[in-house]
Amino acid sequence: MSATAELVRVDPVTLPGETGMVERPRRRWLPFSPWHFVLLPLAVVMLAPLVWMLVASLETLDQTRHFPPILWPGTLRFGNYPNAFRAAHMGRLFWNTFVVTSTVVLSNLVLCSLAGYAFARIRFLGRTAVYYLLLATLMVPLQVVLIPTFLIVKSLGLIDHLGALIVPNLANVFGIFMLTQFFRTLPVELEEAARIDGASRLSILLKIVLPLSAPALATLAVIQFMWTWNDFLWPLVTIINNEGAQTVQLGLAAFQGAHQTDTSLLMAANVMSLLPMLVLFLLAQRYFVRGIATQGLKG
Amino acid sequence: MERVRRALTSDHAVGWAFVAPSVLLVVVFGLYPIVSGLMLSFQKASLLSPVREFAGLENYRAILGDDRLKQAAINTVYYTILFVPISIVGSLAIAVALNRGIAFIRAYRLAVFIPVVTSTIATGIMFLWLLDSHYGLANFVLGKAGLGPFGFFEDPRQAMPSLVGMTVWGWLGFDTIIYLAALQGIPQELTEASAVDGASQWGTFRSVTWPMLGPATLLLVVWSTLSALQLFDEVFFVTKGGPLGRTSVVVFYVYRLAFEQGLAIPLAGFAAAIAYILFLVILMLTLIQFWLGNRVVHYSS
Amino acid sequence: MRRTWFITAFVFALVAAACTGGDDGGGDGANGAGGGPVELILWHGFGTVQGEPDAEWQSLLDRVDEFNASHPDIHVTSIRCCTNDKALEKVTVALQGDEAPDITYQYGSSLAQLAAAPGLVDLTEWTQRPEVAWADFIPGATAAAVYEGKVLGVPALIDNLAVVYNVDMFEAAGLEPPSPDWTWDDFRAAAAALTDPATQTFGLAFPADASEDTVWHFDPMLWQAGGAILSEDGTQAAFDSEAGVRALETLRAMAVDDGSMYLDLQNAKITDLFNSGNAGMIITGPWDLSGLTDVTYGVQVLPGFDGDHQTIAGPDMWCVFDHGDVRREAALEFLTWYTAAEQIRTDTLATGHLPVRTSVLEEPGLTDELEASFPGVGVFAENVANVQQARPVTATYPQISVAMGEAIVAALLGEKTSQQALDDAAAEVNDILALPA
Repeated sequence: MSATAELVRVDPVTLPGETGMVERPRRRWLPFSPWHFVLLPLAVVMLAPLVWMLVASLETLDQTRHFPPILWPGTLRFGNYPNAFRAAHMGRLFWNTFVVTSTVVLSNLVLCSLAGYAFARIRFLGRTAVYYLLLATLMVPLQVVLIPTFLIVKSLGLIDHLGALIVPNLANVFGIFMLTQFFRTLPVELEEAARIDGASRLSILLKIVLPLSAPALATLAVIQFMWTWNDFLWPLVTIINNEGAQTVQLGLAAFQGAHQTDTSLLMAANVMSLLPMLVLFLLAQRYFVRGIATQGLKG
Repeated sequence: MERVRRALTSDHAVGWAFVAPSVLLVVVFGLYPIVSGLMLSFQKASLLSPVREFAGLENYRAILGDDRLKQAAINTVYYTILFVPISIVGSLAIAVALNRGIAFIRAYRLAVFIPVVTSTIATGIMFLWLLDSHYGLANFVLGKAGLGPFGFFEDPRQAMPSLVGMTVWGWLGFDTIIYLAALQGIPQELTEASAVDGASQWGTFRSVTWPMLGPATLLLVVWSTLSALQLFDEVFFVTKGGPLGRTSVVVFYVYRLAFEQGLAIPLAGFAAAIAYILFLVILMLTLIQFWLGNRVVHYSS
Repeated sequence: MRRTWFITAFVFALVAAACTGGDDGGGDGANGAGGGPVELILWHGFGTVQGEPDAEWQSLLDRVDEFNASHPDIHVTSIRCCTNDKALEKVTVALQGDEAPDITYQYGSSLAQLAAAPGLVDLTEWTQRPEVAWADFIPGATAAAVYEGKVLGVPALIDNLAVVYNVDMFEAAGLEPPSPDWTWDDFRAAAAALTDPATQTFGLAFPADASEDTVWHFDPMLWQAGGAILSEDGTQAAFDSEAGVRALETLRAMAVDDGSMYLDLQNAKITDLFNSGNAGMIITGPWDLSGLTDVTYGVQVLPGFDGDHQTIAGPDMWCVFDHGDVRREAALEFLTWYTAAEQIRTDTLATGHLPVRTSVLEEPGLTDELEASFPGVGVFAENVANVQQARPVTATYPQISVAMGEAIVAALLGEKTSQQALDDAAAEVNDILALPA
């Protein structure tokens, strides 16, 4: 411990092996740190598009087309929101996306846990080969296999159904990889004790390993949720003729393209489409951050 | 009976039972498409019809003669060359700025991280509105500073840089999180020792901090390059490859061929061939980057 | 006893053979003779983008009900298969599974691609039947129904391009409302007068995404100036002529020199701008009128070069697929009835569609009645008389369209001169046309 640093708890939710504390420069409570001159404009620039969208969503069409731009409309037209909700059929879009996303997230939690545990703890014939084979698929970007995957989904009869969005994503190799790495870091003694007592692998997974893995599972859930919620290319390609099966991103893109959409309604619809992710992010920040940081530190 | 029971509960059986569903899914939707895509690239095919005609290397030969593909490839490289350095240098600078304990630091970090969760469509809508050449706020503000007006997405020369700006905005938070985690992992003693030795802040950064950021930087360079080469959503939604094809990138061109033009004319095989070449390029670039990186980067134990 | 049985069985077999003869391949459809009406399936794409019913859809349903009631031996079921944009795709997929309908509604531009589809019925012989009165259809529509000498579609809908203008903005700028014989110079002057950089208001909002939308705004100007898209024999591009340059130059001058044209590169803002009073004029068709709720608008025919005010139409077609003689004949009977003058008249007044038959169009008082129910449509109806030519119906047209679209936008953005842009596009088109089919 030095005079300028202190040990600070930053992470109340720790993975085994972490202390949750780092050394930090001692907090300087000078109101005028020169860094504010850098950080404040930065924050403004990063938030400007979001704020500007919010402003436009509360204007009338004429106000959005006014030049010079109106920085603050006199009256706030909250009515744009229910209008946009109806015009863009957001109820249906939200429902579809919610069904797809929650199914995919749940399925991943289950399947990646099973597979991850097996790769981490069970010695079975061909384990290493299969593991590396799965990892190899991470190297291949979606765009490369877009066309053949489309054809497979088409032959399964899933085109224009939510199934096309769900089935191919039920088990994400990244999730398997992440959980495998995580399970390996857990102390093995607990599990070995249970094995000696005659517990089955499944009950060990359910009663011992998973309860210890809450942070990792939460991270996986949150990252998978974001990927599925924001996915555009795959729904674009598989939902071609069925407006009833569109997701939020697809519906929003279509709404923008319709010739008679006015900008203020479009912005209102956009704000609504962002709300679920924003709320999730604010509630589960640390899991997002951890999820992204793990990708960085896996090296 | 006992042997059967033991076989069924053996590690091999249980292990396979646990991984089987995932493996099945990955084989069907991950591995098989890789193989069938390769086969498709040797055929003349259309997505809506089961008719397949063997075409040998014709698709690959056609790649060499396709002018629009050349332009798409050039545009993709142009985008990558702008996007990768800007986002890496930018996020490092921001991470350094955010790595301190001053007031409101949590709010600043939040402001930087939030754009990561916005979807490409939502971002596209926001920026089309912000950078509208006639009614957008950007030209208004820049006008007050005596600059512009700019065409942004509507000017053939500015469209790609505008896309770079928009995508950097969306990804900066992601890179910053990784750099911030890496910065926070650097033990305090090292930087302090350097300061005690009389090095300036910049000198400390160069000799202590920067080398320790090696792994993170390598990862971000590889990751950013990969995602830059696969740009699609923003091009499709915001510029549709225009104006005048100046923002058409390879993945967008492949999509156009297979899913738009290739309905009446059998172009899906040609598109698959392009996708394979792209895959090979990506693979090679990644390997080169890792090889170069491992020679330069020093990993701490 | 046995002989009677034998004879009865023999007679029964003969009758059965007579009943089932002549039906070759009609899967689900009943064959009519001796058992129920002939079942026909009709696919359409009416309704809003989100799949809700609208006036067009309702009118179709009413018409189909009327037919079913008055023709007990045929029963037509209409199904909204998709949006009209996807009709070609949908039918192409259905054809592989042998699930194509009997009658399908298609864009005229899809005809060249459909021509290769198995089972598409060649209607040439049918058009010569007197009850069809083929010559009564609008010439521009029938021209677009012919591919390689064969008639492959029946005109279902016709529209055209005219100028929709903001009445109040014209008044405020001190301009007289446009007259039917106005020229492109008048148009350019009006646009310049309506433009105000201080408020970012433009005289004209123009689709500049280089898609077919851009091209078909250019085509009527090309034709008015005496030009053509392709040569007579269809082997060379012809739009890089003097006429083409004259047409493109007019647009380019407005966009680049006058700054009076708003270039909509995403092609999503045109009605938006008109509605908010930021664009004084737009060149569009009757489909946009219902969305122009915020302004008082007027409609006038396109300006002309040298007194020629011809316009362009985007005709949609009914196409027929062969499911055996019985069903095919029934489908033709339906179409004969559906496109008869009386039905067209009813549909026109119910939906604001422009009549596809000249006799209905020229009926005294019809355009006034239309105008009364659908403000602005009257001028579009009169403008149908100005539809004289059609775009080439060839399999290569989509590629020609791309080349022309990019040329037009290049000129509008000031990247190339009109001549250079058209020359480059012509070279590209000639290469395309030179490839073996």
